[in-house]
Order: sequence, then structure tokens, then C-alpha cells
Amino acid sequence: MYAKFPKGAAHRTDPGAAAEVLYDAVVVGGGISGALVALRLSEAGRKVLLLEAGPAEDLTLRGYERYLDRFYSAISKDNQAPYPAVANAPMPRGTDARRITPGAPDASSYIVQSGPFATDTTYTRVLGGTTMHWEGKALRMLPEDFRMRTLYGEGADWPLTYEDLAPYYSEAEREIGVSADVEDQAYLGIGFDEDYVFPMKGLPLSYLDRTVAKDVDGMPVDLDGEHRELRVRPFPQGRNGIPNPAYDGGRGYVPRGAVSAYQVEVGERCQGNNNCVPICPVQAKYNAGKTLALALQSGRVDLVAQAVAHKVHVDESTGRVTEIEYRRYDRPDSPGHTTMRARGRLFVLAANAVENPRLMLASGLRGSSGLMGRNFMDHAYLLAWALLPEVAGTFRGTICTGGITDLRGGRFRSRQAAFTVDIHNDGWGWARGAPMTDLIGLVDSGGRYGESLRQGLVDRVSRQLQLAFMVEVPADPSNRVTVSPDFTDELGNMRPVLSYNVPEYTMRGVAYARQLSRRIFARLGAEDHTAYDPEFWGYAVHDGEGYEIRGGNHLAGTHVMGREPSTSVVDADQRCWDHENLYMVGGGSMPTVGTSNVTLTLAALCLRSVRAMLAQLDSETAPIEVTTGRDQAATTSGETAP
Amino acid sequence: MTAPSFEKFLSLSVDLTAFEETDLLGTGMAHAYLAKVRAACGDEVVTDLLDAHRAARADAAGGTGSHARTPLDRDLFDRALRHRILSDDRLGPVARNVIKLWYAGMWYALPPEWTDRHGARTAAETSTVTAAAYQEGLLWRAIGANPPGAKAPGYGSWAEPPRIADRYLKGATR
Repeated sequence: MYAKFPKGAAHRTDPGAAAEVLYDAVVVGGGISGALVALRLSEAGRKVLLLEAGPAEDLTLRGYERYLDRFYSAISKDNQAPYPAVANAPMPRGTDARRITPGAPDASSYIVQSGPFATDTTYTRVLGGTTMHWEGKALRMLPEDFRMRTLYGEGADWPLTYEDLAPYYSEAEREIGVSADVEDQAYLGIGFDEDYVFPMKGLPLSYLDRTVAKDVDGMPVDLDGEHRELRVRPFPQGRNGIPNPAYDGGRGYVPRGAVSAYQVEVGERCQGNNNCVPICPVQAKYNAGKTLALALQSGRVDLVAQAVAHKVHVDESTGRVTEIEYRRYDRPDSPGHTTMRARGRLFVLAANAVENPRLMLASGLRGSSGLMGRNFMDHAYLLAWALLPEVAGTFRGTICTGGITDLRGGRFRSRQAAFTVDIHNDGWGWARGAPMTDLIGLVDSGGRYGESLRQGLVDRVSRQLQLAFMVEVPADPSNRVTVSPDFTDELGNMRPVLSYNVPEYTMRGVAYARQLSRRIFARLGAEDHTAYDPEFWGYAVHDGEGYEIRGGNHLAGTHVMGREPSTSVVDADQRCWDHENLYMVGGGSMPTVGTSNVTLTLAALCLRSVRAMLAQLDSETAPIEVTTGRDQAATTSGETAP
Repeated sequence: MTAPSFEKFLSLSVDLTAFEETDLLGTGMAHAYLAKVRAACGDEVVTDLLDAHRAARADAAGGTGSHARTPLDRDLFDRALRHRILSDDRLGPVARNVIKLWYAGMWYALPPEWTDRHGARTAAETSTVTAAAYQEGLLWRAIGANPPGAKAPGYGSWAEPPRIADRYLKGATR
């Protein structure tokens, strides 16, 4: 059963007709959150309208191949290279980042950065969202990540535990199609149901990983009285591997193919293209288009693309959302647009942790807790790079197959941030633009040509090792997304304004990461080439040492979930405390980011929230007359569990 | 002035890249690359570069001719290339660009001191040649890898040692 390019997936709903329909749910955003919500609601027989800000060209093979061609032809092969830049629904780009002068916000690109720290964080505004360019790491969070305040006095506690979320992690692993082996992934308290296996078997470690493991496995680390030995461990991956016949009690697993009419060479097992970011050429990597294709196949999901949500309208007496006003642009290259409205029983904002609060704040909805847009989080990446003593065949495999996860948890977290360490199969690409910069250096200033160039390239590139330390960032209310009428885009939508600083707690983890990288390189006999440039836009000094800090595109925290309306924006079901028929879903609901890439966790949260949405829809059977106000609201509370 | 010869361009490219003629022709890019160099630098420069290469081969063959079959004295040839081309203000940057063009599939802008003296053409700016050029970059073959996003080597291939000829491993062992 392949997810064939479905009849109807290319069908786009006429916005005029959609305006006449009262949908069960209006979903804003066609990324993984919106796709999962739309799929599950439609499976339950509910009618959904999905609004997508970007042009929707990628649900056909032809559309996908246009992305590839754009990538091949692009001079800069950054993580947005394949995707069209559309001024009506602009997106941030990693290459936008500039050093920020104190007191002078950098408004030169879509996200206005008021600093003090600049970030290159990005997200992709096309159908499928940022899963189009995500790398595909699908780590579960640790049980302790949900209880950071209680255990370590840092960050926040979740209103959920790992055990609460565990069944939804399993469900998300099925939807995404995760390749991993339980024996590699059960560590630091991560528990699985008895007999659980991942849908597909783990992808093999790269030759580079194995070269590193020869020396790093067994390396002792003592921290805060806890002894541990490091180990190179494979990461769970959201890409197709070998289906595990033991999955689902022996029923097995059928991988999701490509979104296309053909299953020739695409959509099947990972082929090692080494290009997960920015685009998997064969759709072996999961992208939310696969989920959307299924959702659209149901016939109960209407999709309007080129529809940028402009304002969330609320009934002042009940707090309920009445409609979402959006601007539908006719052409990607011109600002001409029509103002439209979308009506539903429920509204689901699934536009990511920057766009969700941006839309709410632009609608004048700051939240009674005052926390809308606050507690912005991402991971802070520290890179360290070296040359191995032997040729390790760098630049082969998926972008990352293995790393070190032993320092994701432990008592040290009461003092300094934890991290996951990636071994990058693409060498010094992220840190220094390898291998093109190596080529240019060898030719332009190394005097190399012919045979000596070929030797030089092997010597210089195939021995590269880059470690990426993905350091956790705790919630800090002063790290926030706001809006200002001074900064608008082509369609007149207010742009996000980001204030961001890297907390000291994170910087202590960063400093420790650098120390550990020195030890690892020494153990490997590797030549440390790490050097942090004070002119780098993300240069940060801690205890007299300077570091280059990069963003991880792991956006979280801007509408945190919690137990109390006074200390959170949404409840454990991601339902707004202030607006009972509004769900804000995605990374923004996460109170901590821990040391895992956020996609798997936010997918699990969305799958969990769908149950609350369905229960609420069941309990609110009568068409909603918003003008009846309080009486109606009192009888339509949807808290009942299914 | 006659147009720069494709055969001579190919011969120059073999010497600059250390890939065989069949490898270069096999990329399907050779004609497009010559056209790119001509558009970016002008025929006069390209012709002079090809002539200088011919002369360098002649130097290394003891002045008897420039036929590819004449055994070359490698040290003499290296010296002649450095003296006649790589150290030349006008030809050196173009030769280096030809190397990068073959290895990266991308034309890099010539240095400003070159364009100041010899003129800037629109085609001289940093640009890709075609979508296929990136995929045909020799860099990837040199390091035993595929161009990211194309020519996938197959599931699990990354767990094996890279296929790189011993002569390029130099001191480093695998």
C-alpha cells in the first residue's frame, strides 16, 4: 500500500466556496503538525479546511522535481535553496544572519532581530513545512526532560510525563516511519513498551562513525560524581530503511512511498544521497507531504494554498474564535490579494513556534498570562572540527548517522546544559563550507592542480571530522517573539520581531562541550582545527573564551503548555486557556526542548491533542451561534475524555 | 582570430584536473564549459591560455612538439605550467577557474584585479553552468563520494570504506 499520489491531492479548493462552509476545524499551516491533525480529524469523519501560506507545488512529482532542479542550479546550497522565495509569505534563511549592533534591530530580512544575540534559525513556508528540509533525526525526549524544574531547578516542568506521551511517540514513529533499533535507543530512562520495535530497522553507522567509535567507545567521563563511558550510537531516523517484520506484533510495516504517481526509484529505501538537508532527492526521508497526501485522499480535507492568515477574530464575550481572516494572493510574484475568511467549530494554529505567536500577537491576542511569544527556544549549536589521522571517507551516507548521547542527562543538569553530539558525515560543511572551501583554498592559494590537487583533496576532505554539540536552551521569558506595525511584509502582515540571548546555563554547557571535544580529538589522535572567529555573527564570549554559536531551527516554547492559565498559554491538550475552541499546536507548546530535535515530540503532542479535539467536537454537536455568547460557551466545554 | 579549439581545451583540462579525457567527455559538460570560459573571459584570453599550455607541453617534451603521445618530463612540465600559466597575471586566474569549473561545476567570479585590467563581462560573475554541472563535479569523484543530492551510492554503502585509489592516499593510511 503505497501512498500514491492521490486523486484529489492536486485539487485546490476555491476560497470563495470555502468561505461559505462551516468546517469542523480550520487548520493554519501545512507542515507536519497541521498535516497530522488534518489526517486524524478527517479519518474520524470530520471536515477540515487547511490554509497554507506558501505556494503548493510539491504534492506532485513534477513539483518536487522543480525543487530539486532549483537546488542543483543554486549557487548557495543552504537549507532553503530548493524552495521558492515568495515575498507574500517570506521565510527566514540561514544566510540572513548578521551581527546585531546594540540598540539597532536588524530588519534586513524577514525575521526582525533585535538581539542582543543574532540567530540563523530558519523554517520553510511551503506545503510540507520545515520537514521538507529537516534532517530527519527522530529522538525521543528523556523522561527527565519533562521534569527539569523538579529534578534540577532549571527550566520548567511539563504538565505531562514521558509515560503520558510514550504511546504517542510510538504513533508518531509509525506516521513518520522511523528507522532504529530499540536496543540502541533504550538509555537514560527512555522506555519502550514490551516487544516494541521501530517500524524499520536502524540505518547502519557510517564508516566515519565507525572510525571515531574505535577510539571513543569506552572513553570515561566523570561529571558531578557520576561516571559514564561514551559510546558512538546510531540515531533514530525519519527515513526509510529495512522494514522490521516484527513490527506491530508481527504484522510488519509498509514504508510510505513518494508523493507521486510513480514508484520507480523514489520513495523507497534511503540511498545515501548525503543531502537530507535541504532536500532528499528520492523522498526516502519523511516529509509532511506524505501525510498531507493521505489526508487529501479522504475527500474531507479542503486545501487553500497561497493563503496567509492575517487575523484571528474572537468573540469578546465568550473568548471563542469566530473566524480566521486570511489574505489569498493570486500570484507568488505580486502582492495583489483578496481578503477571505475561514469559519469552523475548532481552529488549529499549526504554523510553527514563530508564526503561531506572531499571528496571535498581530491579532491583538496577547494572552491573559502575558506569555504569548515568550520563552522562545531553539538549540544552540557548537561545532568543533578536526582532521583524523586516517582517511575516513567523509561526505558519504545520510548527513548524520551516529553520535554521542551519553551526556543528554544526569545530575550535572542542575549546573550546566546537556547536549547531544552529532558526527557529521558532511565533514566541515556546516562550520567552514567544506568541501568547496577546501577546493578553492587548494587551487587559489595552495598552487594545486592535477595529481597534487587530487591528493590534496583526499588529504584535506576525506579526513574531516566535525562534531556538532546540540546544547539545550532553557525557557527564558525575555527570549521572545513580538510584532510591531513598523515591520510588515508585502501583504501587510506584521513580521516577527525576535529578541534572543543565549542563557548562561547554556553557555556553561557550551564551554564544557568545547573541553570535551578537545579530549575526544586527543583520544583520536586528530588534529584540532577549531577556531572561532570574533567577527562571526553568532560569536559569544563566556568566561573569557569566545565561541561561534549557531541556531538549530528547533523552534519551541512560544506558547508553552502548563497546568495553570496564569503560567502557560495552552493546556496539556494544546488548547488555549483563553479561547476554548482554539488549539495552538507544535513546538511552541513545549516547556523544555531537552536534547532532541523537536519534530518527533511535537508530532506526538499533535497526535495526542487530536483526541481532545475529537472529544470537543463530539460534545459541541450543535452549530455554534457565536452571538448567543456565554450560555453557549458554558454548555460547550470540551474537557470530557474520550 | 579563430575560435579557441575544443581539442586544445580538452587537453588543457586533462592536465589541470588529472582526469582522463574519457572521464571529462563522459561528464557531458566539456563543450558547455569551454563556452562558459569564452563567454566569461573572451576568446583572446582563452586562445592565449591554450597556446601557453601548448608551449608548456613543448618545453617539457624537449621542444620537439606538443603531441600528447610525446613522453613528457613531468618535472619540466610542472615548472613550465607554473612559469607560463599559473604565475601569469592574466592567464593564472583563468586556469584556476577552469580547474574549479571542472571540480565544482561552478564558475567563480574572477578576482577584481583581473576584471579591473581585463574587463568585466556579465558572464564573469559567480554562476552555475547548468543543473547537471553540479552533479558532474569532479570533486566528488576525487574524494570517493557522490555529489550530495545526486548519483546515490545505495543503501548502507556508507558503512564501507571509501573507494579512493591508493596513490591519492599519500601518507595517510586507510
